[in-house]
Amino acid sequence: MAKTLVFLEHHEGAVQKGSLGVLAKVDGAHGVVIGSGVRSIADGLGTLVWSADDERLEAPLPQPRVDVIAKLVADEGYDTVLFAQSVLAADIAAGLAARLGAGLNWGLIDFDGEKGRAPQLQDTVVVEVGWTSPVRLGIFRAGSLDAVALSGTSEVRDAAVELEDFSTLAEMVEQAHAEQQGPSIEDADVIVAGGRGLGQPENFSLAEELAKALGGAVAATRAVVDAGWYPYSAQVGQTGKTVAPKLYIALGISGAIQHKVGMQGSNTIVAINKDPNAPIFEFSDLGVVGDLHAIVPKLTELVRAKRGS
Amino acid sequence: MSVRPSDFPPPWSPDEAIAAPSDPVDERIDVGICIVGAGPAGLAAAIRLGQLMEEDPATAEQLGDVPVAVLEKGKAPGSHLLSGAVVNPRGLQRLFKGRKRLDEMPFAGHVEAESVLFLTRSKALRIPTPPTMVNDRNYIVSLSRFGRWLAEEAESAGATVLPETVAESLLVDAGRVVGVRTGDRGRGRRGEELSNFEPGSDIAARVTILAEGTQGHLTSAALSHFGMAGEHPQVWALGVKEVWRVAKPLDRVIHTMGWPLRAGRKYREFGGSFIYPVGDDMVTIGMVVGLDYRDASLSVHDLLQELKTHPRIRRILDGGERLQWGAKTIPEGGFVALPKRFSAPGLLLCGDGVGLVNVPALKGIHYAIESGRLAAEAAWRSFARGASQRTVLSSYDDALRESFVWDDLREVRNMRQAFGRGFYIGGALASMQTATKGRFPAGDSPTERDAEQQLFTTSRASSYPAPDGKLTFDKLSSVFASGNRTRDDQPNHIRIQRRVPRELAEMWAHMCPAQVYEVGEADGDGTVEVRLAPSNCVQCGAITAKGGRLTPPEGGSGPEYTVT
Repeated sequence: MAKTLVFLEHHEGAVQKGSLGVLAKVDGAHGVVIGSGVRSIADGLGTLVWSADDERLEAPLPQPRVDVIAKLVADEGYDTVLFAQSVLAADIAAGLAARLGAGLNWGLIDFDGEKGRAPQLQDTVVVEVGWTSPVRLGIFRAGSLDAVALSGTSEVRDAAVELEDFSTLAEMVEQAHAEQQGPSIEDADVIVAGGRGLGQPENFSLAEELAKALGGAVAATRAVVDAGWYPYSAQVGQTGKTVAPKLYIALGISGAIQHKVGMQGSNTIVAINKDPNAPIFEFSDLGVVGDLHAIVPKLTELVRAKRGS
Repeated sequence: MSVRPSDFPPPWSPDEAIAAPSDPVDERIDVGICIVGAGPAGLAAAIRLGQLMEEDPATAEQLGDVPVAVLEKGKAPGSHLLSGAVVNPRGLQRLFKGRKRLDEMPFAGHVEAESVLFLTRSKALRIPTPPTMVNDRNYIVSLSRFGRWLAEEAESAGATVLPETVAESLLVDAGRVVGVRTGDRGRGRRGEELSNFEPGSDIAARVTILAEGTQGHLTSAALSHFGMAGEHPQVWALGVKEVWRVAKPLDRVIHTMGWPLRAGRKYREFGGSFIYPVGDDMVTIGMVVGLDYRDASLSVHDLLQELKTHPRIRRILDGGERLQWGAKTIPEGGFVALPKRFSAPGLLLCGDGVGLVNVPALKGIHYAIESGRLAAEAAWRSFARGASQRTVLSSYDDALRESFVWDDLREVRNMRQAFGRGFYIGGALASMQTATKGRFPAGDSPTERDAEQQLFTTSRASSYPAPDGKLTFDKLSSVFASGNRTRDDQPNHIRIQRRVPRELAEMWAHMCPAQVYEVGEADGDGTVEVRLAPSNCVQCGAITAKGGRLTPPEGGSGPEYTVT
């Protein structure tokens, strides 16, 4: 049985949803939180969690984290290190792969302690992937795991922080984030997505109002992003983001396969479209054939009334 | 009002692809020979150069750390290779003489039997195989797969293959080609530099070999810059094909003529289909139509979908599953459209880029390989002590003219042009030419550029089959099946006029197999806006033939073919 360590990425004092999903996925996996003033984050996860708490780890830079994890692998005998996909995770995993001479499998949706599974050829097949190196590295695809709430006392142990000289040369100059209201589309439980069927850019307010009422985020198809109606950061699909919310409401989206592969992991898909032949109805759980301009405002009103706001 | 695409020329000048070296000398990348394009021509050149390096290490020594570099715009070698293909092994035998046998090469099979069918909507009439089309002793390949193998051979022979690298401009200094400049990466939609921006670099080379394939970006700029274009313009056909996994093996190579193309002279619909077995469990099926067609509602993609509904064809695919889809243009001008010269100072041109395709035989891969081999030898001769590079490189022209490539192409010189006169007259003329080995009719038939054909619109589009997602497919899901996952937020690489008569916009929308063009808002003056989805583009090149200009997008963009 693998001895597995999961990198727990955190933001503003809480572990990211994706990392929690990976930790919950693998039975008996341990976690590691790395940062400055992060020891408390390790608590309440119900397993052994290493805490590498050091001022020099304040900035979210990859190399010092590679040092910490490489040392844990060497000292504690972990043979598997798993990540949830993110920019930082990719940097660390790549650095770790080079440092340990370990193989890295990307885009996993499953790991059974021995082998992983990953969709390939643009999600048309799922293949079994393995490792030939003694240490196995894997990055889970964003949004591929259900969100889970972990509980139970963690056994928190301090990890030694010994940084290589070359690991401290990089310096964080600035950390900026795009201002946005509500959750990001990767984290949202509810997504309201708009397509060409909205008719014109101004009608995105329909999607925004509904998303706000549901406490969700707004996404867009490639066609409307191409047309300049909505920013690229909100694009869901093959060449945009992959999302898997609990509820995905598609407004005026035809459901081309390029869009489908970015949202087919959603728990419940609701489509509103005036074209009864739109392909989206083939993979939605609830389909409404009708004029979204009439339906959506009423729906928003009902949600608001129900939520008493 | 009658519209010709050529009346709306693209905002593009060949000079945009010609540049002076701009990187400081210590920042540029120095290579011995720079080959643009990892297809059969470019890789044959690289493999031949590897053989020569092995035979003559002293000369190889002079070429520096990277003696041979092959630039490939696709994600990997083979990503942008698509062909039928039945290959005449002659070029490969000459390239690998004494080193590799044909049975060591990754062919998908041997041509065991062949049929030529004349189709009507419901019937298939077997007709005798025209002599030019006999495929006895030829091999079936997936060119994409074969290209990957050639790239491995080239690398083990000492070449450096650089995928995801676009050759954006030809570096010319004092009238001599001195290398190429690669394209920038990481630019946003409006050309702005994104956080991952990397500028292109100058690649300085002693000899540059352009083996870009059909609609070569730098090849066409070089032909114009050095005044090398032939007397007759090049014309193209568009091929769209699919690869299927099938339930039962196909026992023969099939070519069809007739339906779903129309025979009338005014339509100028010259083309047909090919259906080849690829091993025991796959079949490749494609439709090819000359781009001198005139009906704005013609869509080669939809004709292929229609072809599959023919009872004779449907039977072959029954119980199968589509694996991949792709599209590409084929130069069809033949002998009379060849450039005047194939070399310029510092530069050699080969393969499909200069139109080395035998249309009646449906072949060009062996010519690409032979021209690449000859280009490699000329480049090598130019490195000999005391050689005058200018004289030696132009000896490539002589070598090509003395090769079997030249004899073959001359023999079928006017055949494609004959079909501009309609299917039946064209067929008769082609037969006479075959019988007389190209001597009759005498003289070269005139050719018009594809973009000069006047357009008209029929209701043809209304009879294309509605896609069912099993046998017939729409364009967007087909683009998906090409493996295309191009980054959307990059600059538009397609040059066209954005406000044109409706008929022209509709022609582009129907023509493009990848749904790049959409007819937008009408203006009061009878023109419409053309909307673009450039990231759908599979770089087939049809737009360049029909009134626009394809330029290379960021390296690594476009389809990712593996079995086409």
